[in-house]
Amino acid sequence: MRELLRVEGLVTRFYTDEGVVKAVDGSWFALEADEALGVVGESGSGKTVTALSIMRLIENPGRIESGRILFRGEDLLEKPEREMRRIRGKEISMVFQDSLSSLNPTLTIGAQIARVLKYHTRLTRRARWQRAVKLLEAVGIPEPAKRVSHYPHQLSGGMRQRALIAMAISCNPKLLILDEPTTALDVTIEAQIFGLIGELKDEFRMGVFLITHDLSVVASFCQQVIIMYAGKIVEEADVQELYGNPLHPYTLGLLRSIPPLEEEAERLESIPGEVPDLINLPPGCNFSPRCALTDERCWHEEPELAEVSPGHRVACHRVAVPVGVGEIHG
Amino acid sequence: MIVYLLKRLILAIPTLLIASFLIFSLVHIAPGDPIRVMLGQYQDPELIARLREAMGLDLPFHVQYLRWLGKVLQGDLGLSITVKRGASVAGLIAQRFSVTVELATFSLIIALLIAIPTGVISALRQNRLSDHISRIIALAGVSIPNFFLGILLILFVGVYLRQPWGAGGYVPFSRGLGRNLAHMFLPAVALGTAYAAIIMRMMRSAMLDAMSQDFVRTARAMGIAPGDIVRRDIVKNALIPVVTVIGNSIGYLLGGSIVTETVFRLPGVGNLVIMGVFRRDFPVIQAVVLIIVVVRIIINLVVDLTYGFLDPRIRYGGER
Amino acid sequence: MAWEIQSGEYELGAHRTLLQEFWRNFRRNKLSLIGGFIVLFYAFLAIFAPLLAPYDPIEQYDAPRGMRNPMPPLSRDVDGRLFLLGTDKFGRDILSRAIYGTRTLLQVAVGSISIAMLLGVTMGAIAGYRAGTWVDELLMRAVDIMLSFPSLVLAIALVGAFGIGKIQIGPFTLSNIVKIMLVIAITYSPRFARVMRAVVLQEMGKDYVAAAKISGASSARILLAEIFPNTIPPIIVQASLMMATTVLTTSSLSFLGLGLQPPRPSLGLMLNEARDYLFWGAWWYVMVPGGLITLAILGFNLLGDGLRDALDPRQARRRG
Repeated sequence: MRELLRVEGLVTRFYTDEGVVKAVDGSWFALEADEALGVVGESGSGKTVTALSIMRLIENPGRIESGRILFRGEDLLEKPEREMRRIRGKEISMVFQDSLSSLNPTLTIGAQIARVLKYHTRLTRRARWQRAVKLLEAVGIPEPAKRVSHYPHQLSGGMRQRALIAMAISCNPKLLILDEPTTALDVTIEAQIFGLIGELKDEFRMGVFLITHDLSVVASFCQQVIIMYAGKIVEEADVQELYGNPLHPYTLGLLRSIPPLEEEAERLESIPGEVPDLINLPPGCNFSPRCALTDERCWHEEPELAEVSPGHRVACHRVAVPVGVGEIHG
Repeated sequence: MIVYLLKRLILAIPTLLIASFLIFSLVHIAPGDPIRVMLGQYQDPELIARLREAMGLDLPFHVQYLRWLGKVLQGDLGLSITVKRGASVAGLIAQRFSVTVELATFSLIIALLIAIPTGVISALRQNRLSDHISRIIALAGVSIPNFFLGILLILFVGVYLRQPWGAGGYVPFSRGLGRNLAHMFLPAVALGTAYAAIIMRMMRSAMLDAMSQDFVRTARAMGIAPGDIVRRDIVKNALIPVVTVIGNSIGYLLGGSIVTETVFRLPGVGNLVIMGVFRRDFPVIQAVVLIIVVVRIIINLVVDLTYGFLDPRIRYGGER
Repeated sequence: MAWEIQSGEYELGAHRTLLQEFWRNFRRNKLSLIGGFIVLFYAFLAIFAPLLAPYDPIEQYDAPRGMRNPMPPLSRDVDGRLFLLGTDKFGRDILSRAIYGTRTLLQVAVGSISIAMLLGVTMGAIAGYRAGTWVDELLMRAVDIMLSFPSLVLAIALVGAFGIGKIQIGPFTLSNIVKIMLVIAITYSPRFARVMRAVVLQEMGKDYVAAAKISGASSARILLAEIFPNTIPPIIVQASLMMATTVLTTSSLSFLGLGLQPPRPSLGLMLNEARDYLFWGAWWYVMVPGGLITLAILGFNLLGDGLRDALDPRQARRRG
């Protein structure tokens, strides 16, 4: 195992008319090659902005304020835009959530895949088209030779998502970012798609950065989990540890809101309240307004992300940190 | 695609029929006996009787309409009564049609050549100086009436700069294409300016719309070069709604050409219809209005086809 | 972007009324404020025309020895009267004629928009409320067909049918100005019908209408008391946008000689007369009426855009 990606102190903000949105507020995490990292949180917790920051795709009025994004040891934030363009799609690739709006409606699937190949390979026009057909076949699209010349709207949602994945993996990226790739799809197709991504990950030794709000997907697919809340990482652990020993009240709430498989979701517990306004964050712990366990300290002092056991970090005052362990983490 | 085309064609037919019925009925909205109205002070009983019979005014209304429609379909638009007594209206229109078509086409070309690139650049440089300047010019362009702009152009080019081609009037093709086009230039600018401004604004906002689409982000995430993204992702998709506006606003060019012909004293169809209205020559009014509406509907059909060409979602509508 | 900015109410803890919200959005756009001021200026001109105009707009004054009408700005007549903006070809004061012409233009525009609104809103409300029935089908077909005429062409055709000047319908005499209002109102009512139908349809789908229906309120009551108040903002936006178009159409008709008739002061007609004096270099004869028409259209365009954006800020950010 070697380190593929390390994010250090990432801060990304959006300067809107209403005020400064602290979308990502100091993130630290790392991802190993051929590891799948699940990033979980409600919408607005900063998952997508983290991903877009890694790809340097933050647009006006957003700005990456500080931090380092080390990809295979090199800081992406230091790279000129030209070089970034060579990395995007080739080294780091991303699959977006809505497959219909994420594909250009006026170009065929084949043309869109071949276009990516044109920028990152030396293949001829013919070879690019043949490779597009191969890729569609690899992601399990039936009749790939026919589908390659179809337009996005002519495919079903599952097919489109596969096509989008085919485009993203066309140049064998080292890191694949998936932004809720299956939200619009039904459960069977979701399972197929994750099966496919898992195979590709093992075959090409890809690191996977999976954004989702679905903890059950993470349980079956990822090795490592990050829980985000209001722009901050609140808990991080490997999958067994997180599910076996969840510590942050927010994580507990999320786990409780998964409908149990046996009984129908009749007592589905959701976390009361909503994600705070990222322009005017509450003082102290961001989660305090919705937390059942608050004490005086939670309202005034922001909790630090601290290691409670090897590999398990949590940002909460109410979690007892074993003496000596918390100081290891810088 | 062919199904789509046929569907559009079939839909256009009832519209045309009802429009033609409305145009025919115009004569009968007019208070009083149309013949007496038309002839004004010139009330010769024998002439009245002859016209009455020729126009079939004694027959029931629907029979009159069907007779008129039948003749129109054969290219017989009736006879002029007061503009040029006894002349065939179809003939009168034929002499003037090319002038109006040339004017409208010329202004369309000028407008598109200016509007599309300006809209693209303006959107790509959103909120920079060049964007603000082109938006202010567009705003002025939408607001200035074509007849005022036309007069200003004559005043500056024809009067102050003393250019013979800037003084209005028409030079037929037979006296040289260059001189013909030179004389058409200012009218085309006067007519095309507002149209260009509308399209430029639409192009700009369609571009901004396309720029914020998810597929543009996908293309950026795949490392596609910016120029390629502008061409194949942004402009290509932005053109789809703009083509609709180009088609819907073509009516402005047709209506505006009537005014522009008056400003520059061009012997076009618009000029004929104005004479028709002044002299209450109903067959002339009916024929010109009918032709303008038919042209409009045909242009809309062509635009719909272009639309299908640009947007595969329409071209391959049903299949999934 | 999968990014949701939280609503403003959270931070302020206060509930702003819709009107305050609207005003906040409107005020933010400087151009729409300018539009508002221009429109206020025109309203002022129109209302106080008799107090503002230095001379009778129809009175003809003689040029002093050695000069001829039209006279340039700051000229004096034989008796030493000063004409700030010069005189026209009959020796009438251009400033006074322009002020009264503005008044008439606004009168016609406001009058015809009001009638068009009344006609269109009624049609659209019925069609929307009876959506899907033959009544809706019939009304919307009629609207489609009227919109297949370029608006100026339809207006010209209607003037052709009614005749120029005042008209006699049975025992009633319709003054020319009322007739023009009617012509323009008929031309533009379909656009209001479309907007109204869409809004009514949208409102019908909402819960409060269903609630009113369940509680047994009558159709007319639901339409008037429940739905109608919510249709006012979009209709007002449409009206202010249409004001610009109406000013253009009204002055185009007058320019063509088909609208207001002399000696009534009319900006369009002044431009038409001025054409004959272009080669004398009578720029003031052109600039005053042309400038006033253009500025009015600009003002209404800016105001209309501002109102629309203030009611729909999300779209406005797109349009930038």
